[in-house]
Amino acid sequence: MTQTKHIEMRNVRKAFRFFTLEDLSLDLEPGQIMGFVGPNGAGKSTTIRLLTGLLAPDAGEIRVLGHAMPAAQTLAKRDIGFVSDDMRLFGHATLGWHMQFVASIYPGWDEQYARTLVRRFNLRPQQNVSGLSSGEHAKAVLLLALARRPRLLILDEPTSGLDPVARHELLGEFMDVLRDEDRSILFSSHNTVDVERISDRITFIDRGRLVDSSDKEDFLERWRRIHLQLPAGVALPELPHVVSRVQDGLFVTLTTNRFSPDLISFLGAGVREVQRMSLEEIFVANVMHHRETRGL
Amino acid sequence: MNTLARKLIAKDFYLNRWLIIGSTVAGLVSLLIAAEGKVRFNIGMLSWLTTLVAFGVVLVMLSIGNERKERTLQFILSLPLSHGDYVRIKVVGLLLCFLGPWAILSAGAVTLIAVMPNLADGLLPFAVLLCGFFLANYSVVLCGALHTATEGLITILIIVTNMNVTLFIFMVGALPSLNDHLHDPAPAWNSTFWTVLGAELATLVITLSLPYFVAARRRDFN
Repeated sequence: MTQTKHIEMRNVRKAFRFFTLEDLSLDLEPGQIMGFVGPNGAGKSTTIRLLTGLLAPDAGEIRVLGHAMPAAQTLAKRDIGFVSDDMRLFGHATLGWHMQFVASIYPGWDEQYARTLVRRFNLRPQQNVSGLSSGEHAKAVLLLALARRPRLLILDEPTSGLDPVARHELLGEFMDVLRDEDRSILFSSHNTVDVERISDRITFIDRGRLVDSSDKEDFLERWRRIHLQLPAGVALPELPHVVSRVQDGLFVTLTTNRFSPDLISFLGAGVREVQRMSLEEIFVANVMHHRETRGL
Repeated sequence: MNTLARKLIAKDFYLNRWLIIGSTVAGLVSLLIAAEGKVRFNIGMLSWLTTLVAFGVVLVMLSIGNERKERTLQFILSLPLSHGDYVRIKVVGLLLCFLGPWAILSAGAVTLIAVMPNLADGLLPFAVLLCGFFLANYSVVLCGALHTATEGLITILIIVTNMNVTLFIFMVGALPSLNDHLHDPAPAWNSTFWTVLGAELATLVITLSLPYFVAARRRDFN
């Protein structure tokens, strides 16, 4: 039997006065962590607001956990844990009050796990939220989402503003969530290091359009930077799947998004070095290529 | 009303508990001051009036304005509820939060006028209308705050509704069929009284219904 996709977006459009999210299609399977990466203003938060029912699409179809959004958002949100970096808790109430409040709404609230997270994150339930540092606040918000044991976690820049140790702790918790194969995470960030660490699928978005979406390993295998030294008087022909070409005299640097040994054979003895690319490098090259292609 | 709605209403009560208790105590102290003689009656009633108006405004500002401004709204909207649910729960919750202190302080003021020997009972109809006005005025602020996300517009709304208090006292209080009976020994529950009360009720019904038909039907929640 085919499992219901946790996220299905088909040709979604959402227009604002100065920004339009155009023709966005996205799938997230159960058990996957999708890194949703884009520069500032790319449309990540708009996409997430559409997925959580806060915005209604102008066109296209959105289904989350099998429920049509935003019409069936009440049902869908029972199994969604949503955290965004600009989400705040009530300053004059304690973390303990928040925990009780959320526990009273979600039957699946895991009190034991919540207590474990309190200890692991070094939080104090009796402390007023207004007294928490920004890192502690981020952890508190995540605790409230994680202890619901949601089937789908939607995280909008959850680690922004956190120190490296706190980020490490949180990313570890996200990995723990995925021990249950029926759970999944959509993780939006412009921090490619975090995304590379935990995601198994990556989607790049830029200026309201989907740039590329694939498995992380696929990205890392397909993209290469090739350094060449051309013989004097020889010009390099146009090559397929080369998204960037920088030449300095006889030295050429090519970036390809479809690397294959055949390409190296074709380039021959001039190849000086073939470099694997980090996700950040792939992201930048991908976005720049996308902008060039669209004439932006 | 489902469990989530009850929890969210209880949340509004909990987060505003000190405001609710403080305003009720301040209003009751004002009425005690008013009970101590004719000069202190004016001071006490002015303080009572200010307490009720300020309570309504602060309640709406804290529960709707600050939820947006301090971004706690995002947390609430991550719970299993729709835009429409949020608006409907806010209307009911904040109306209930206001109703308790309003009912106690209104009953206190009306009782004070009825039992104070040196005050004419002819003042009672105007006192009842003034209490009704506070409730209607609060519902206007509540309705306005649910329809606008702009802090500036909410501020303008608050200024206008505060001005309405003065306008009400001087305009409705100056109506001959009310004003002529203020010093009568017995209250005159005449047609003017019922007309003004009807207008207050109509304002209440319209402003409390409007969010269900407009704000609750918005497709986007910003």
